[in-house]
Amino acid sequence: MSTTRHLVNRRRRLATSPSRATAAPVAGEEVAEETTAPPGLPEPEAGHEAGHEAEHEPEREPDLVPEPEPGADAVTTSPGRRLRPRLPAVLCVLTVLLGAFAAWAFASAASLRDEPARQNTALTDIGATSEVKGRISEAVGAVFSYDYASPARSDRAAKTYLTGRAVQQHKDMLAEVRAQAPKQKLVLTTTVTGSGVEYLDGDRARLLIFADQSNTRTGKDEETTYAAAMFAVDAVRNGDTWRIAAIDTFTR
Amino acid sequence: MARAGTTRNPLVIAATALAVVAAAAAGWGGWDRYDASHDDAASYAQARDDALAAGEQAVQNMNTLDHRTLEKGLDSWEESTTGDLHRQLVEGRDAFAEQIVAAKTVSTAKVLSGAVTELDERAGRAGVMVALRVTVAAPKGEPAVKESRMLGTLTRTAEGWKLSALGQAPVGSTAG
Repeated sequence: MSTTRHLVNRRRRLATSPSRATAAPVAGEEVAEETTAPPGLPEPEAGHEAGHEAEHEPEREPDLVPEPEPGADAVTTSPGRRLRPRLPAVLCVLTVLLGAFAAWAFASAASLRDEPARQNTALTDIGATSEVKGRISEAVGAVFSYDYASPARSDRAAKTYLTGRAVQQHKDMLAEVRAQAPKQKLVLTTTVTGSGVEYLDGDRARLLIFADQSNTRTGKDEETTYAAAMFAVDAVRNGDTWRIAAIDTFTR
Repeated sequence: MARAGTTRNPLVIAATALAVVAAAAAGWGGWDRYDASHDDAASYAQARDDALAAGEQAVQNMNTLDHRTLEKGLDSWEESTTGDLHRQLVEGRDAFAEQIVAAKTVSTAKVLSGAVTELDERAGRAGVMVALRVTVAAPKGEPAVKESRMLGTLTRTAEGWKLSALGQAPVGSTAG
């Protein structure tokens, strides 16, 4: 960046120098540009890092820039001939250097963005994290709760909140409860007590769930047992709703 | 006059154009690189992953103890912790060591899954939840396998994230 601007300025100055006295506004503009340009050499937004990266470029200036001047002034016989092959060569070197820097910068930026830690937006994207947590906690509570008096509600919940492999997994897990529920007048209630997003990337997420299950037999002897559950769920987003796609109960 | 001529040289014009394009690309690339490396979310994500890795390891350490290598095990407990938890462990070490030597138990833990539940990067505090399977083998009888729902609080120290509190998620208190 800086180097080219210097060169362009220099070339302009060289071109206008014979008529500098008459073309005062142009010269003034250039001076202003030269004096104001250096502080903002790297990108204006760029702080230390970009400044460091660009550092090696300005260092070359003293080598590259003075060349045309002594050549042009000292060799009075044919200044044009001395200048012509050099300037393109300097520009070519510059182009290669700047191009190489650009290629490195883009590649480096891309690899930084591809780091696995960045792909996972759990907690870094607060909104999406709390959305998936809330929705999946609600889903777990709904699909793992069962009331013998209204089995249809459980079916509805399964249809709303489950997809893919989770549909069958859920059916298997609740099979026993469904079989015994009418006889024992079972009411199973699942409450999520803790959830954490392990992984979140766009439309896919994995959550660790701690839940309490209370199992109440409302038959002759009313009795409630509590059980602690822990499992992980894979969630997928379809449109704007998250659904449970798989349930991992950590079975060996 | 000759100088004015050089600027009209098509070779110079082409080379200048290329250099300008390269300069623009370099500027854009530099900005892009800077933008990528100064992403707040990236450092936060890194802290999250560091905290989780340290938390899982610490929770595993705290549930692993072999009476035959008791000192080493208890050292690892102390190395995994900081603050109040660390103090409690140091104070209770001798009494606890006696119990383990008497019981001759070997506990091994396996982390099944873990997640960071909260992270305050500035304060250096994080909350983790870890699903753990612990196998306790005593001289007599079959080894007992139990699954634990662990909740831990991590505090960042000079040597990385360490547990400052650890306990099991309570059961039954919120159900119903």
